[in-house]
Amino acid sequence: MTKLQHWLYLLIGITAFVYLGYAGYSYYLTPYEERFFHPSHSILKPSGIIGHGLGIIGSFMMLVGVVLYMLRKRLKSFARVGAIKNWLELHIFLCSLGPVLVLFHTAFKFGGIVAISFWSMVAVVISGVIGRFIYVQIPRSIRGNEYSMEELKMLNQSFGEKLKNEFNMDNSLLTKLEHFASLKVYKSPNLFSIIPLTVKDHMANKKILNELKTHLRSEKISEKSINQIVEISKSKLILSRKISLLNSVQEMFRYWHIIHLPFAIVMLLIMILHVVITVAFGYRWIF
Amino acid sequence: MGQISPGDLSSLHSHLEGMSNCTKCHHIGSQVRNNECLACHSEISQLQKENKGFHSSSDVRNKNCVQCHSEHHGRNFRIVNINPKTFDHSKTSFQLTGKHGKIDCFDCHKPDFMTDAKYKKHKGTFLGLKTSCNSCHQDYHQGSLGNSCQDCHGTDAFRPAPKFNHSSTKYDLTGAHQKVECIKCHSIETKNGKKFQRFKGIEFTSCASCHKDFHKGKFGDKCATCHVTESFHVIKNLGSFDHGKTNYPLVGKHTSVDCKACHKNGLNTRPKFDKCISCHLDYHKGEFTKNGSQTDCNSCHSLDGFNFTSYTIDRHLKSNFILNGAHLAIPCQSCHKKNEKWNFKIERRDCVDCHKDVHGGSVPVKYTGEKSCTACHTTERWNEVNFDHSKTNFVLLGVHQKRSCTKCHTSNKGINSVNIYFTKKSECVGCHKDVHAGQFAKNGIVLCQSCHQYNNWKPELFDHNNTSFPLNGAHSKVDCYKCHKQVVDEKGKYIKYKFGEVKCALCH
Repeated sequence: MTKLQHWLYLLIGITAFVYLGYAGYSYYLTPYEERFFHPSHSILKPSGIIGHGLGIIGSFMMLVGVVLYMLRKRLKSFARVGAIKNWLELHIFLCSLGPVLVLFHTAFKFGGIVAISFWSMVAVVISGVIGRFIYVQIPRSIRGNEYSMEELKMLNQSFGEKLKNEFNMDNSLLTKLEHFASLKVYKSPNLFSIIPLTVKDHMANKKILNELKTHLRSEKISEKSINQIVEISKSKLILSRKISLLNSVQEMFRYWHIIHLPFAIVMLLIMILHVVITVAFGYRWIF
Repeated sequence: MGQISPGDLSSLHSHLEGMSNCTKCHHIGSQVRNNECLACHSEISQLQKENKGFHSSSDVRNKNCVQCHSEHHGRNFRIVNINPKTFDHSKTSFQLTGKHGKIDCFDCHKPDFMTDAKYKKHKGTFLGLKTSCNSCHQDYHQGSLGNSCQDCHGTDAFRPAPKFNHSSTKYDLTGAHQKVECIKCHSIETKNGKKFQRFKGIEFTSCASCHKDFHKGKFGDKCATCHVTESFHVIKNLGSFDHGKTNYPLVGKHTSVDCKACHKNGLNTRPKFDKCISCHLDYHKGEFTKNGSQTDCNSCHSLDGFNFTSYTIDRHLKSNFILNGAHLAIPCQSCHKKNEKWNFKIERRDCVDCHKDVHGGSVPVKYTGEKSCTACHTTERWNEVNFDHSKTNFVLLGVHQKRSCTKCHTSNKGINSVNIYFTKKSECVGCHKDVHAGQFAKNGIVLCQSCHQYNNWKPELFDHNNTSFPLNGAHSKVDCYKCHKQVVDEKGKYIKYKFGEVKCALCH
């Protein structure tokens, strides 16, 4: 369900982006000084019936996404309402789709004070993406709660035993895997180096897993078993990396909040100012 | 704090950039209203009040300004965006017709043509023009024809002026005047240092104002008495035309000749009249050309007709053929119209060229000369013959001198001819009858002149004593017929003079 929900959100987001881009590409690709003469200008301009609507709906999505997630996170009375992981997914969905709509509301015209709000929004989204990546580097329970280090080490060990007992992996191979999955010492990553580091590690793991797969095939083990073994081995390798990086990532995540939130606040404030000015000048969409 | 503008204003409004200027266009709570626009653009407001210009058209008047003139689209945004290909200029107070529809907008909408100085500064404005022609066009007529150019000119071209009707002027064009190029009457001159074609103030009361008087004043100044405007070749009132005023007054037969017979190329053309042959065909086909110069008809003919001639006998006497004698009495055509046509150039003037040689060549040429009769005849009459008979072998003597030629020379008169034959015989018996029945012939030749002379037939030369029977005695006193008696025998009736042997018994 979580995975389906995840893909559904992604599908909606991408579809919205593609559709709006496709429907308005002719207008959006028109130079600013010529757009007034484009037949879609009256509806797609930021104050047009669609353009303005996209801005309002997008902003409303972001507002809801932020408020609901904050309420779930901050207020005790909401602490037991649904898994935090799902709320985060909703937060990410609304705060991804909302900016997409706002992007089309701007008609790709980024100027004036409201541009600060826009670029703040962009910063929030980008930091959100990075934050989401950091977030997944911290091993969590099925409800999304963080494991302790002890729990993690036990989990890692259970993978080895599982391989040994269920699939009768010989000791030499298991030893080799253990060697690779041994807790590595990574140079403390920062917000910018964590992603390349992870990618590099991912590639190394892939190589190991391929070697493992080749070896298992030479042992005449069934393909199904090979896949299960490789999957467990992969989990073990990833978990090993996460355990190694846990302290760094946890620390990084604390700093991340400091970045993510202020951008969101700046965006919100200027957006409010933007709304106030447009309403004051009589641009009230359908109202 | 950064600006809250959604974009740069167009260059025309760029002076309104800045937060403090927002409300100059934007009305709080009401977006952008026309009032704010028209507060600045009072010229548009004024035009709408006057119901003039594009902004007063039904399509535009009820629109909001911003529907067409949006803003905040950048400095280079065309806030006034007119597509020359689609803009309906008829919605302005000036419909584009003719060439106006083909030229560029800014060929007209340019500061040079804007009468109000305030518009001249507004680059690209379409305001400030007036609809009068001379607000853009230079008045070629320099005010001489008023300001209503459109009364004459169309918009396709300055030339020609298709709406101009000359009949609306004081001088209606008729006839050939309608085909004459304007410039022929309306000349181009220089006025105030510029080219100027004069259309007004042209003298037209007299034809001579424009036309040269071909007649040099001979017929007065009222050309229309004879001429019409259709053509100089068309003459009216021909009946009253006085040809006597011309250099060639009509006289004689000329008065009844049709005008066109002489004025073949039009009545106003001036045919040559110095010589008759300028008009008339030379009937004589150059017969009277002398030394390469043709003698004009009037040397013989008068204007009363060609049938009459002033060529007198006196003049004929001065010609190469002097008329005299009987020639004076014969009609001209006897010599000059032997055929159907008159012929005055007679190359051969010998008598025989006209007269028949009735002598049939019997007169020896040695007496007459070649083809000439004048050796014998004069022009007085044929009967008078002045032939010197002494030139012949037969000198006329005695009575012969008094006799008519025809007594000797046989005459045979026919109806149309006179034939005279000359005897070739010089003997007396050639003409005379030998009454002696050959008694005195010697060797067949009768020699009358042995006894006779030319005055009479008396034998004056006869001497009976010279005969074989000389007369003496009584014989000399006897009448001749006593001895010579008339006899009749086979030779006829004659007096016998020869007796052969003479014996007395012959008589006694």
